[in-house]
Amino acid sequence: MTLTLALPSKGRLKDAAMELLGKAGLPVLAPDDPRKYRARLEGREDVEVAFLSASEIAREIAAGNIDLGVTGEDLLRETIADLDARASIVARLGFGRADVVVAVPDIWLDVDTMGDLDDVAAEFRHRHGRRLRIATKYWRLTQSFFTQRHGIQVYRIVESLGATEGTPAAGSADVIVDITTTGSTLRANHLKVLDDGIILRSEACLVASRRERTGAEDEVIAGIGRLVEAVAGKE
Amino acid sequence: MTRAPSFASDILSLFSARGAEPVEVAILQPADPFLDMAGEDLRRRIFLTESETGATLCLRPEFTIPVCLDHIASRAGTPKRYAYLGEVFRQRREGGAEFFQAGIEDLGETDIAAADARSVADAHALIAHCLPDARPVVTLGDQAMFEAVLAGLGLPRGWRQRLARAFGAPGQIEAALDDLAQPARRTPLPEPVAALALDGDIEALTSHIAAGMEETGLSATAGRTPAEIARRLIEKAQLRSVRLSGEALAALKTFLAIDAPLAEAATRLEVFAGEAGLSLGAALDLFSRRAEAIAGHGLDPGAIRYDAAFGRPLDYYTGLVFEIGVEGAERPIVGGGRYDRLLTLLGAEKPIPGVGFSVWLDRIKEARGFSSTSEPGREAMRGMGEGARAPGFAP
Repeated sequence: MTLTLALPSKGRLKDAAMELLGKAGLPVLAPDDPRKYRARLEGREDVEVAFLSASEIAREIAAGNIDLGVTGEDLLRETIADLDARASIVARLGFGRADVVVAVPDIWLDVDTMGDLDDVAAEFRHRHGRRLRIATKYWRLTQSFFTQRHGIQVYRIVESLGATEGTPAAGSADVIVDITTTGSTLRANHLKVLDDGIILRSEACLVASRRERTGAEDEVIAGIGRLVEAVAGKE
Repeated sequence: MTRAPSFASDILSLFSARGAEPVEVAILQPADPFLDMAGEDLRRRIFLTESETGATLCLRPEFTIPVCLDHIASRAGTPKRYAYLGEVFRQRREGGAEFFQAGIEDLGETDIAAADARSVADAHALIAHCLPDARPVVTLGDQAMFEAVLAGLGLPRGWRQRLARAFGAPGQIEAALDDLAQPARRTPLPEPVAALALDGDIEALTSHIAAGMEETGLSATAGRTPAEIARRLIEKAQLRSVRLSGEALAALKTFLAIDAPLAEAATRLEVFAGEAGLSLGAALDLFSRRAEAIAGHGLDPGAIRYDAAFGRPLDYYTGLVFEIGVEGAERPIVGGGRYDRLLTLLGAEKPIPGVGFSVWLDRIKEARGFSSTSEPGREAMRGMGEGARAPGFAP
């Protein structure tokens, strides 16, 4: 029996995940060849570690190709339509905190809430001959927040894979849905978060895919979850 | 490709007997008009693809929009009644993705009451023809009536628009009413904006905002303009201290609770208007003429219900909305409505009134399978969510 645990392959998420596993008594043994994307947990023959990009981890969890993964909740909820059917969040890890938010230009002094944005969106076509444009890489989160949560139907999403904060000034979008940690990038781009515009308070999670496993395998996953949870979020 | 059900040819004969002209609609359609009209949420429910040149295309998810687009492109004269029957394609998590729909779109008829009634009668005839043993149950709603009530109550423009948009979505209506009765506390405005907004000084406010836009590198013409923001700020400032009165709230709730056989509906509305002390004028007149015209088609107005809260929260619906179910069926078999705003939104040079309906042939097939034992599921229909009631965009 070998379960696969996928860890982010680079950046702060990788470092924080490695550190947390170390503290939990599950230190990751770096591969002999640093170019290899496979490793092991010390003293654990039952777990193999794979290094993948954070968004790939979300996709592989959805597909059931890996058993466990560490990735952001934003990516999980964005990538997997029926998250609860395909995966379960085993532990919240207390790092990689970021909010997915709705932000509009500061100078829209009349817009503080989603209700205000609803008014603006409804009249937009009439005034400007096109629908309100939202730049984001979070299609799914945006749609469910705007349409299902707030009943706003009439807007268009413009896909933005980088520098989303710059799109209103560049004229390619009117408002944005993006991730923010301190808000400083938004402020630098003269954008403000709506009072009720927080779509998701995201953090890194240990997530398990749902697939048929033996009782022993389930127990390994639960055990890793307990070890990680005991040290998660404690500095 | 799946085969059309056996009764498809009967439907086509019926359409032709009722004087509607058959049209062919391309299966592959530009996706933008659908996403523009129905909203981004549709994206996950349709099949999208891309042309070599990067244009986004989709398999037609419904017929109304393509029929209207073809009408505009062909510069055909009006009035015109188009009949269609064919497959539509929808993504669902479970079950099939190809469905047959049939329907009639009536474009450019200026006698609104007559066209509305004919649309209901055509749809009713189709159901009676395909399901001779079923008891069809027709439910009508009226967007224009709700808007007339809002206007009659003298509500400010911004409120009227917000409520009119939420019409047909009970949760949103409730949230909007709560908010208007007890507005949430707003973030205070910075000076000098607060004072200018309170004074209603649109010019000073506009130039203040224009300066702010220039400073932050935001185009004053590509999106919202300084004047537009200034106007809305002033409107908000004026509404800041206004609350929805208890009487207006009670009147709205009384109105939305009206659910009566069509034969009694006009009287019920008159009584309501009298008690609330408002005039429903043209909307009530049209409502009565439509009800008479429906009876004139031989439909029993006792078997048709008017539900004052029934609507579709899509901004191109302007008046009548209706659906037809049969006993034992959970979902409506027909969805229809008036969309006087749609053709202009799709690019018609002049406004063209339109009304139409769409029938789900697979649901007829289902209904042929069971006996009429229980009341049709109005409750089940209510639970289906907003989009479910759009004739084109039902799940």
